[in-house]
Amino acid sequence: MSASTHSAVDASGHGHQEASKFHIFVQLAMILAIITGVEIVLIYIPLAKWLIVTSLLTLSVVKFLLVIFIFMHLKWDKLFCTILFFIGLILAGGTVAALLALFITEDSKPLTVPEAASIDYVVRSL
Amino acid sequence: MSTHAAAGAIDHHHDHTTSTGIPNKKLFMWAFLASDCMFFGALISTHLIYRLHETPNQPDILGIFSLELTSFSTFILLMSSLLMALAVNSCQKGKVPATRKMLLGTIIFGLIFLACQVYEFLHFVHEKGLTLSSSMFGSTFYTLTGTHGVHVAIGVLWLVLMYIRTFKPADGSPWILKSFVHLGVFAVVTVASIKALLGGVHAIQEHGATAQMLSTFIQHDLIAIIVTAVGLAGLVFLGRESKAAEFGEANAVDVEAMGLYWHFVDIVWIVIFTVVYLLEYL
Repeated sequence: MSASTHSAVDASGHGHQEASKFHIFVQLAMILAIITGVEIVLIYIPLAKWLIVTSLLTLSVVKFLLVIFIFMHLKWDKLFCTILFFIGLILAGGTVAALLALFITEDSKPLTVPEAASIDYVVRSL
Repeated sequence: MSTHAAAGAIDHHHDHTTSTGIPNKKLFMWAFLASDCMFFGALISTHLIYRLHETPNQPDILGIFSLELTSFSTFILLMSSLLMALAVNSCQKGKVPATRKMLLGTIIFGLIFLACQVYEFLHFVHEKGLTLSSSMFGSTFYTLTGTHGVHVAIGVLWLVLMYIRTFKPADGSPWILKSFVHLGVFAVVTVASIKALLGGVHAIQEHGATAQMLSTFIQHDLIAIIVTAVGLAGLVFLGRESKAAEFGEANAVDVEAMGLYWHFVDIVWIVIFTVVYLLEYL
């Protein structure tokens, strides 16, 4: 009797959890669609460029995190999965930051055709 | 008893687990996605570097992009992620018919995204003159978005294979030939429907929403329309539930691993949409 009551409680609890997960997914999809709409509207608002760029990047990061933690179940999965994925993510982010920092300097700007030709001439004459 | 209790605590669905308690397939997928992050990181940074520097033959990018089309593609991909999450949820509960419907929905949304990308590329190449070799922007743009498109196409193929697998009969009767026919019909419908869709869009662009548009569309794409209709009827026929399927809760980890890949494709697009498209409008 007690066992059956327990299992009934478990089943209803499990069912409630599954139903709420369904609602979470649907609500998240709506939130993502709204954020995308806000992003599109944002580029037409006459605000400071740095403010819009920061807002767009922040909203993009929010969408990214919502998808990986809820749609990809990281919120409910073992921490190891989060660590493993974030290792790749941090390495990728670091690569992007390092490359942008390297190529932002004046010397790394791509050569124009006459500049490239003059360097080629100097190299050939050596 | 204690082993049972430990097994109950482990997050797996009848699958071999690693010493971490995470199923092999899932752990592999997370490791793969971590490495794929670096791949896309390199492509995105290459595109950004050449956008931040003035390069020869720089096209008028705002005159090339269509924000409406890209926003629509983004919305479609986000909704496909919802369907994928619901497919995983259904499979974990052992609801095979619901899993099939959600997988089919994800496939359709993935194909719509691909059709939009094919249309965008064709439009850029033929009408705007932006090719892989016309400028540095063309090279980095097509490499980045094309690589993402290839990921989507692989995802759609995987989804189709998983969908077909849900029909494997539980009684062990032969199904390989039927599954190959199913796959073939899917391939034919995909190509024909994208061709018909592009033909329809082209006709609307030329004549607007008029009777002439309809006659031009039918005249030019009659074969594609017939093949799509016959193929869809074939898919309905092949997709009818006749026997009990072997597929069920035991395959949840397979669907989950595939779902992780699909969501990853979605998050990469979230970054591309902002960095490649939206920032151009500032």
